[in-house]
Amino acid sequence: MSGPLIVGVLVAAGVFLLLRPGQLRLVLGFVLLGHAVNVLLLAAGGLHRREPPVDGGGPESADPLPQAFILTAIVITFGITVYLLRLLRRGARRGSRPPETWDGGPR
Amino acid sequence: MVPVVGPLLAAAVLLTLPDRLVLRRVVALLATAAVIAVGVVLLVATSDGAVPVLRVGGWPPVVTITLAADPLSALLVTVSAMVVLACLVAAAGTGDDCQRAFLPLTMVLSAGAYGAYLTTDLFNLFVLVEVMLVPSYVLLALSGGPGRAGAGRVYIATSLLGSTILLAGVGLLYGVTGTVGLADLAGTAREVPAAAAAGGVVLLAFALKGALVPLHDWLPRAYPVASPVVVALFSGLLTKVGLYAIIRIYAVLYGGDPAYHPLLVAVALASMVIGVLGAIGVGSMRKVLAFHMVSQIGYVLLGLALFTAASLAAAIFYLAQYVLVKAALFLCAAVVGATRGTDRLSRLGGLAASSPLLALAFGVAALSLAGLPPFGGFLAKFLVLRAANEVGDWLVLTVAVLVSLVTLLSMLKIWGVAFWGEVPRAARERTARPGLALLGPPLALGACALLLGPLGGPLLQVADDAAAGLLEPAGYVRAVSGR
Amino acid sequence: MILAVVLGGQFLLAAVAPVLTWWLGRNAGYLLAVGYLAGAGLLLSQRPLLLADQAVAVSWPWLPSLGVYAELRMDALNLIFALLVLGVGAFVMAYCPRYLSPDSRHTRVYVTMTLFAAAMLGLVLADDLLLLFVFWELSSILSFVLIGQDGRPQARGPAIQALVITTTGGVALLVAVVVLTVSLGTSDLHLILADPGRLATGPAWAAGALVIFAAITKSAQVPFHFWLPGAMVALTPVSAYLHAATLVKAGIYLLMRFSALFGGQWPWDLTLIGLGLLTAIVGALLALRQHDLKALLAYSTVSQLGLLVSVIGVGTPASDAAAILYTIAHALFKATLFMLVGIIDRQAGSRDIRALSGLRRAMPITVTLTVLAAMSLAGLPPTIGFVGKEAIFEALITVDAVPWLGWIAAGLAVLAATLTFAYAARLVHGVLSGPTRQRELHEPAWSFLAPAAVAALLATALGPAVAILSPMVERAASDARPQGPAPYLAFWHGFTPALGLSALTVLLGTLLFWYRRRTGPVLAAIPTTPPFTGYLERFRRALLRFGAVVARPAQVTAPAPYLARPLLAVVALAAVAGLLLGPLPTGHPDATRPGDWLVLGLLLVALAGLLTTRSALAAVALTGAVGLILAAWFLTTGAPDVALTLMLVEVLTTVVVMLALRGRPGRLVAPGRRVGLIAGAGLAVLAGVAAAVATAALTGRRDLSPAGDWYLREASAATGGQNLVNTILVDFRALDTLGEAVVLAVVAVGLIGLARPAKAVGQRPDAVRHAVDPVLELAYRVLAPVMLVASAVLFLRGHQELGGGFIAALLAGTAVGLGHLAHPAGAPLLGRLRGAPLLTVGLLLALVVGLAPVAVGRAFLTPVKLPLPGVGSVSSALLFDLGVYLMVLALVVAAVRRLDSAPAGPAPGPIRERVR
Repeated sequence: MSGPLIVGVLVAAGVFLLLRPGQLRLVLGFVLLGHAVNVLLLAAGGLHRREPPVDGGGPESADPLPQAFILTAIVITFGITVYLLRLLRRGARRGSRPPETWDGGPR
Repeated sequence: MVPVVGPLLAAAVLLTLPDRLVLRRVVALLATAAVIAVGVVLLVATSDGAVPVLRVGGWPPVVTITLAADPLSALLVTVSAMVVLACLVAAAGTGDDCQRAFLPLTMVLSAGAYGAYLTTDLFNLFVLVEVMLVPSYVLLALSGGPGRAGAGRVYIATSLLGSTILLAGVGLLYGVTGTVGLADLAGTAREVPAAAAAGGVVLLAFALKGALVPLHDWLPRAYPVASPVVVALFSGLLTKVGLYAIIRIYAVLYGGDPAYHPLLVAVALASMVIGVLGAIGVGSMRKVLAFHMVSQIGYVLLGLALFTAASLAAAIFYLAQYVLVKAALFLCAAVVGATRGTDRLSRLGGLAASSPLLALAFGVAALSLAGLPPFGGFLAKFLVLRAANEVGDWLVLTVAVLVSLVTLLSMLKIWGVAFWGEVPRAARERTARPGLALLGPPLALGACALLLGPLGGPLLQVADDAAAGLLEPAGYVRAVSGR
Repeated sequence: MILAVVLGGQFLLAAVAPVLTWWLGRNAGYLLAVGYLAGAGLLLSQRPLLLADQAVAVSWPWLPSLGVYAELRMDALNLIFALLVLGVGAFVMAYCPRYLSPDSRHTRVYVTMTLFAAAMLGLVLADDLLLLFVFWELSSILSFVLIGQDGRPQARGPAIQALVITTTGGVALLVAVVVLTVSLGTSDLHLILADPGRLATGPAWAAGALVIFAAITKSAQVPFHFWLPGAMVALTPVSAYLHAATLVKAGIYLLMRFSALFGGQWPWDLTLIGLGLLTAIVGALLALRQHDLKALLAYSTVSQLGLLVSVIGVGTPASDAAAILYTIAHALFKATLFMLVGIIDRQAGSRDIRALSGLRRAMPITVTLTVLAAMSLAGLPPTIGFVGKEAIFEALITVDAVPWLGWIAAGLAVLAATLTFAYAARLVHGVLSGPTRQRELHEPAWSFLAPAAVAALLATALGPAVAILSPMVERAASDARPQGPAPYLAFWHGFTPALGLSALTVLLGTLLFWYRRRTGPVLAAIPTTPPFTGYLERFRRALLRFGAVVARPAQVTAPAPYLARPLLAVVALAAVAGLLLGPLPTGHPDATRPGDWLVLGLLLVALAGLLTTRSALAAVALTGAVGLILAAWFLTTGAPDVALTLMLVEVLTTVVVMLALRGRPGRLVAPGRRVGLIAGAGLAVLAGVAAAVATAALTGRRDLSPAGDWYLREASAATGGQNLVNTILVDFRALDTLGEAVVLAVVAVGLIGLARPAKAVGQRPDAVRHAVDPVLELAYRVLAPVMLVASAVLFLRGHQELGGGFIAALLAGTAVGLGHLAHPAGAPLLGRLRGAPLLTVGLLLALVVGLAPVAVGRAFLTPVKLPLPGVGSVSSALLFDLGVYLMVLALVVAAVRRLDSAPAGPAPGPIRERVR
């Protein structure tokens, strides 16, 4: 039951942060959701096998595929988080004007 | 393989090239032209029911990622590449590509989209969707005007949430079935309820990415802020991948399970109606067009929802023609933006007199969008209506007809104000004449829309083949799984 | 084939029209007229064949998979309509050159009108429902273009109105086409018409109603008649051609063609008779009160089309013949009248009946011709109008669906005809009588008058000579509805009831005209537009307003509402799935270990702190802590690679966030309103529960997956790598890895392209900004080399043991970040790294390595041994990993350099989004 519960609390916390105002909370919310999905992926491989998957591992060896998925996902989340942080920087410098005032094709 | 690697290679080469704009443009155009050529080759290769596959790395099918092309994938790759090509030319006209990052990003974005059409592995699909979306974040921020920060935030936040849900769905599917390969998953959602639930999460994610009602409002919020060329690119590729994924997953994973038809029909009709109503309620060309995307996506989904040979062919035909037509319309907006400096209807007027060629391109595309003959859109609408009538669904038929009329109304609204209206005083001073690079792409796409009417036979043939493949995915599954 | 030649020729004419106008200017119309006549002649050459009850046809495959063919077919009925299109077209084309101003080439007018003629020709020749529909709508679109005239202010509204109404009808036709095609399995028109019995009752009702709807919109029947008078803003040749002779006859053609299918059934018949007569009377009443001659003619057209519709509803051979004859008659005299009105307008400068007076002295020929055409309109002998009207009366009397209906119908027709007589008299009286007011009024050039003159004389002469038309009309009547021969059409029938009705019409009409001063006010009280046009307009506005309401949710600035809906959808999905999901396989009992609860407890503490803190720094630190707790947990679940990666990512993320937040007030935005807080918390809890339940229900209930099993058994042998996770990343699923590396590269490109480096923004000496921190400096000097060496080791052994390109690059990136913290102005050595070249080299390397096997005929990304001088050989997977390494490093470098947001002068505002 531990895996689902970890997913649950991470999702709840992440969603709560997403729905609050503020850039930084948005970023952190997505970081938490990213963690939640990683735990979910790991659980999808089966949490009853907990030996590192190396060559010649025993019957307890974990499924290596979800781990590869998680690694990929972590790195993508990292990249996007870094990009979101840029928004944080921009958002701070100038607030967003409502889109209606915008006018204009490419310069 | 070329569709994925070619543009990526081009992106890499573009990053190394010096600031010689002409050279950079040529590289990007050549890469895209190569993709079109490959797309056509694939179309020919798949026309006899063959499904060419590529097992990346040459490993056995169970453990590696398999790319496969059936008529649907081949068609979408070809059509998308045509849109990319048009956008590249138009970008040269508007000067969008003077941004150093524009061309490499476009290449990466398109590579992600082509890959998404070809991959048969759901996790790989997630990765490729990210490859496609991340450049779009940057492009939106690069090309947008004021207000892009807010729109960009909404856009990134929603699509990031979509990606998170998608990944969770893929994880759950793996948890239930132990595989993420589409071919191995074929029909499981029909047999295993748990797989259907997990697949539902995936479909939900793509519904968000494909901007289906009620998950649509991010699209008209975010897209109109980007420059019209970029929106044309987005409209041709991004939401279409979501739509494609829904079509493919529903057909393969769910085997077109009729239990879900009412839900799909409801979503499709809601998208059609809400999209078109929103379109008549907003006041800039790009916003109108963005809302129309929601509506048109509904039409395509409708074809999927009915899930007969006729309706699937209708959906695919609709999808292909609408991608071209929508790009033509956005590129018209780009011309308007480049010559008048705005695309707000309240500040436009007299375009028909000042640039008749633009009026021609817009007129053809708009009428095609509204489903009037002899343009391709009318055949698409006819096919959808026919499919609806075949299953005897009068509600669907009525809604589809009424929505197409309101579509026409909204197009006439643009036409009446922007093309026929008085030239506003502000515009009298700054009216540039659009060059060939600007006008060419929408005209070429408009010509495609025109020709798809009288010469729609071949496309319909492809759509029929693709529909057959979706209705009976055994061939696709066999080819991909290698069993 | 001849049909294709004529139709193609018409399109060709449209194509060469620009050349002609470039060469001849406005006189190009004459050549075009010759072209039209040539087409008409070609079609006419088939006459003997058609009279022998044969048809000419040609077809091409269009949408073979649907069994739809582009098929043209001509029987006598088609021929008559085609001749109308081309014949009247020739008159109008010959009329255009003198009507149009000499100062311009009028290319667009000629091209559009010729295209329209082609579309109209296609419409009356099409033998496939879909093709028919194509031409039907094409004619509407071209009519829109011709009415709109490039958006002249007064033309916009009517053009759009006309298009909306006709395309609404068009859509109805499309649905009818769909219904017929689907229920009969073919879209071949003459096959469908040949066997009316095949159509089931349900589809027949639907299709019949839709066809009527389409026809009455196109032919401007009540209640859709108002678009036609509006369309009079168009040029007079356009009005003459489209809105009198051809376009509006499309509806008549459609009804006539489909009467073979639906005719003889009382709903169809009675609807047509009722609607037609109503329109005939309403149109005539409205015509009677017009002062603008074009408007008068427009309402007159509405009225006479109504008469035609009602006769089609009668459904006897005689009535069909009458309808066809009157169609010809109307096209001839109405086009003539329009042309003459155009001439009067040009010469006298007005077409208002009150401004015109005494033209007979100045323009006797024009006036004479007008009188002749008006006699045809009024149905006076000896014109063709007379013959036609007689035939109509005669046909209407025979209606016998209900007792006395025939006489009622005939009575109503007489009423319409009486009104028609009266307004024709008004027209004539207006131009004829009174003193000549304008000076310098004179007869137009003969070339201007000639087309109208020929047409007027033809309309008059064809009355006595109606026998010429007779065989063809009769043939056409039996083509429309094969039910026996039609009576012979003749000028003189003897003293029949119809003749009596004609006499009555003249008598009543004369009286009506005589007492015009008394009837005027009564007529003026009739509303011109039907009352529901107001509702229509209100409905349109309501639609616009409603659209604005629908569009409103997409205008909100804050992201939260956009996220709430998908999240709600997820919760809903989970709830539905939870209800419907049946029993599940049991889970593995040992999936939970005691240590897990410790992890969960720590997590809860960290998250509780994170959710409640208002300090940005604390929030970031606590998020980092969450990551580290999870990393620790991953170690216990057999995922050391994941744990290590996550740890490094957390450290790097924290570093980058710190950089981005540097010099900023460390408070988070106020939590906002309580309602939002509660709603957000509620949704968060629901989403958390949904996620937990989904994870519990859908994971951990099966054994090792086939793929996982394969990897555990075979991967090592297949790749030579011991670390299976790494072999998956660089060997089996290298495409994923390539994709994620590309994502990072794109982010790096974005950071480089979007944010200017701090120097460019601030223009202040970096040394002033941040002094070099001695502690960090020392840490950097000591740790960086160690980290770099460790990075290299991790990279090289990645395939075998813990490590790999990602982890190694992240470690190196951490060194870079440390360096930047210590030396904001640029750390020694590592500070010189730049993102762009790194990522370019990395991407190229990864792609080239991936493509190398393709050169030797292997699949993309197949690992191969590459010879390397000195070392022996190296797996291409390692080089691929190196590419990934470089791209990851590039991102870190770019992030560190570009995200450093140390203040540029005065402190910026709090980190928040301004919500409008």
